[in-house]
This record gives sequence, structure tokens and C-alpha cells, in this order.
Amino acid sequence: MKYTIPIGPIHPALKEPIMISCTISGEEITDVDVIASQNHRGIEWIGMNRNNPIQTIYVAERICGICNFCHPACLAMAVEEITDMEVPERAQYIRVVQSELERIHSHLLWAGVAAHELGFDSLLHYTWKIREKVMDTLEIVNGNRVTKAIMMYGGVRRDIKDEHVPKIREMIKYYLDLFGEVAKLFLEDKTIKMRTRDIGILTREDAIKLEATGPTVRASGVKKDVRQDTSYYAYPDFDVKAMTPDILTGDVVGDTYDRIVVRLLEVKQSVEIIEQALDEMPSGEIISEEKIPKILATIKKSDGEAIGRHEAPRGEDIHYVKLKSGFDGLYTWKVRAPTYNNILAWMPMLMHHQIADIPIVAASIDPCMSCTNRAVVLDDNERIITAEDLHNLSIEKTKEMMK
Amino acid sequence: MNIEEIIDAFEEKGLEVKVQTRMAGVKKKTERKTLWINVGRDRLKEIVEYMVEIADDFPHFSVISPADVGEEVEVNYHLSLGYGSYMGEVPITLKVTIPKKDLWVPTLTDIIPGTAFSEREIIEMMGIDVKGLEDKRHLFLTEDFPDGIYPWRRDETAPKKINKLYEGWKE
Repeated sequence: MKYTIPIGPIHPALKEPIMISCTISGEEITDVDVIASQNHRGIEWIGMNRNNPIQTIYVAERICGICNFCHPACLAMAVEEITDMEVPERAQYIRVVQSELERIHSHLLWAGVAAHELGFDSLLHYTWKIREKVMDTLEIVNGNRVTKAIMMYGGVRRDIKDEHVPKIREMIKYYLDLFGEVAKLFLEDKTIKMRTRDIGILTREDAIKLEATGPTVRASGVKKDVRQDTSYYAYPDFDVKAMTPDILTGDVVGDTYDRIVVRLLEVKQSVEIIEQALDEMPSGEIISEEKIPKILATIKKSDGEAIGRHEAPRGEDIHYVKLKSGFDGLYTWKVRAPTYNNILAWMPMLMHHQIADIPIVAASIDPCMSCTNRAVVLDDNERIITAEDLHNLSIEKTKEMMK
Repeated sequence: MNIEEIIDAFEEKGLEVKVQTRMAGVKKKTERKTLWINVGRDRLKEIVEYMVEIADDFPHFSVISPADVGEEVEVNYHLSLGYGSYMGEVPITLKVTIPKKDLWVPTLTDIIPGTAFSEREIIEMMGIDVKGLEDKRHLFLTEDFPDGIYPWRRDETAPKKINKLYEGWKE
């Protein structure tokens, strides 16, 4: 007897509007279909029709809360190439630091989610507790925990100041000291091994043909990493090497366990990149043109097309931009987030596994979620804290941390 | 294969290769080159098969991004060759220009299975038929999204009513 079990549109195991429809024979999954059409926000339409190109940077930030640096990074890269806009050297370095900070917080967030999907909630709380260190660093540098509003065509909007550097170095030390402990918790725990080893295998061949990206493809032994493969920003200075699981375990299986290994290695790699960036950061300007109307005028009179590619925490992120002179906005804007390519990999990963494996296997590609809000708190008198109160409280907290 | 060999390989096939260059890196200045190649619709499959043949591993496929340019639609296939080698990946965009009166492209899923989602997306967003694609269901738009409205178009088929959803919108 065969049954079809819908996981979604929004399922407690996968807090994101997407549906996986599994055909089940007994406990075994025999067919998988993904239905993505649950919540389309029309972001590209807004960028092509409603907004001017500067406003579109901030819309791009909201494509994904976690990858809120990656999307504007791709957009800016494409627009800068078309308009031949200079980006100061210091800004190139700041962009690298920002994207690596984002990778650390994204991978640690994922590690917590993965622990939760396995029912290992004490590990979830531990991982998210140590993730707070990078969130605090982001807040010190950017004034906000998640959405940074730092990207601008021709540079970045805020500098990494001298007083930020000791705080970032403190974070670097904190994570390097903890790496051994976290690796032990995730990689040597018997339960985690039982639930992830040989579960959700993506073979090298499937990974290549389905065009998977990021840690998903690297865990299958394919050395694809945009930071290593092409030159952009200051990345050529850092000699980034794609992380594959054999670096730590000596072997590539391509299962869920290997995807944990890759992300742990990448957290360490990101920390080291930030350390090198702080040591070698050039001084100087952070933006080539400060006047917004001038930037808009340059974009308006430009003609051409370009792509911007960046290695987001989940894999290759790519934006295509076409500009037409005389046209106010982006004439064409196509966004392709990494999860778009990785979803296809769910099908071979889930086949012939059991229902109970669906949450962790689905989560193992790190599907992109927009969980950016802080909690809404009620005090003893049940007074509801408004958005304005929360905003003021967050400003207060940031000021306190700056002391 | 390095970039010169890749350019030669395309030129051997009688294709004109446009190269866009941008500098990156601070201490180690490195050029980032992207290739843009116009391909006729009838030769698209042949060229993609050729890329599979000359690739060290397999071509990387990113996405298809179509642009409405008036009477025609440009369909850009963003691929790359040479990932895995340090700074050796070459992004290649194959541009197929097709008239709006005859809006179709052949499927590439038999060569690169990973193109399936992107092909489904251009059907619903741009109204391009993908000949030979088995699964033509909506991808991101809901099943009941009306036919004949294509969000990425710039003509009368664009979803004009959506404007009214946004505060302060001016026609």
C-alpha cells in the first residue's frame, strides 16, 4: 500500500514555506516531489518596476535575512561592472570581513537547527549560545544584529573602526579556542553519528549533474567554491581553498554527517580569513562616490549587462543585471539564491530512507529561512512591548556594548 | 582548460566571444573575465553538449535569466567551466535571442538535469515554452495564478494590477 505524505507547506520540522511530497511504501520513501509555490514575494518585480537601484539594495537585503550581505554583494558587483565604478581597497576588505562574519553566524545557526531536527535540543541551545558571540560582533560593527545595510555601489557605508578591532579579535580567539570542543560534540557523539552517517547520501555524480552548490556539493567531494574559483573583492589575497570532508575525516561519503563536517571546517576557515583581513587591511576611503544622486545618475546613463557571483553560506549566489540608458531602475534583475539549486538534490538524498529522516536530511542542505526577528516580550504587567520600544531597547543595548 | 583555450574552442565552432574584464584583489591583483556568447536557438543544444565534452569535470549551470527587450526576448544561460581550479573558473553566458511571436527554447534537462527548475521558472515568469521539458508545472507561482500574465515581461502581459498593492505607487 502506498501513501503520499505532505511535509509542509509549513511543517514544524521545516520552518519555511515549501512542501515536500513523499510517496511512502511502509516506512520507506519511494518518490519525492518538491512544491515550491507557497509564498512568492515578487522581489525581482519590485526591483525592476517599483524601486530605484539604491532602494533595490535594501530590498535585496530582505531576500533572505541570513544572507542579507550576500544578495546586495552580488547586485553591487554586477552594477559596478556595468558602470565601471571603482571600489576602494579598504572597502574590498570590509566586504570580505562582512561576508565571513555572515558565514560564521549562518553556519552556527544551521548547526543548532540540525541538532534540533535530531531531537538534541541541549546541543541546539549550546550552539546558539556560542553563536551570540558573532551576533554581538555584528552588532558592534554594524549597529544591528542581522540586517546590516552596509552595501553601497562603489564601496560600503560604514567603516571597521579601530575600536572595533579588539572586539573582533576577541571573537576570533573565542571561536578558535572552542573549535575542538564543538567538533567533538558534533562529530564524536554516538547519537548524531547514528542519525547522520550514511543518511541522505548525495553522490558526486548526482551533485554535479543537479548543479548543487556550496557545502552541499563540497560534502560530496566536489571542490566548487566561488571564493576559490573566481576573483572578486579582495578574495584573491586570501588563497581560499574549497573545504571537503576528507580534509578532516580522510574520506568522502557525501552524507548528512559530511555536510556537518564541511560547515564546521568553514567556520574555522572564515575565522582565519577575518584574522588575516584585520592584519592586512589597507587604510583609505571606504566608498568611491558618497553622493547618492550622482550614483543614480551614473546608473541611469549606463548600458550593459553583467553577473555578480558570490559564495554565500549556502553556496553560489548569482544576480544578473541589465541596465538600459534612460531607464530609472534595473531593466532586468534576476536573482538566484543557492537553495534554488540545492533543492533538486533533496530527491536523491531522501530516496529509500525513512520518514523520520526527512527533517534532518531536508535541513542538511541548509534551506534558506527568514528568521530574523527578535522575540516579542511581555513583562509582568502584560504590557505589550511595541516595535518602537524594541527599537529603543536595541539602541540602548548596542550603546552598552560599545562602552 | 584555461580561458584562452576555452575562447578558442568556442571560436572554432564559429561563435563570436565577447569578454568582459574586471579587476579584483588588493595585494594580488587578478582579472575576472566573463564570456558572453550569442547562440542561435537551433544551435543551443549542440553548444551545451560541446561544453560537456570539453569540460574538465562537468559544466556548472547557475540559472537562466530572460530579459524582455521589446519585440524579442533574450534568454541568458549562465554556465561556467573550470571550477575547482584556483581562480580558473570561467563564467560563460550563452545568449539566445528569440522573437516574441515564436517564444520557445529547447529543454536542456537531457544534457544537464539541474536546469529543470530554471526552465519551469521561465515558462511561468516570461511565458517562454520549453520544448521537450516533461514537468511544466508552476514552480514559484501558485497553481491558480492566471494564464497570460508574466511577471518579468515589460509589455501588456505584465501584472499591472500588482502595483496597487504597494502604498504610494504612482502610475
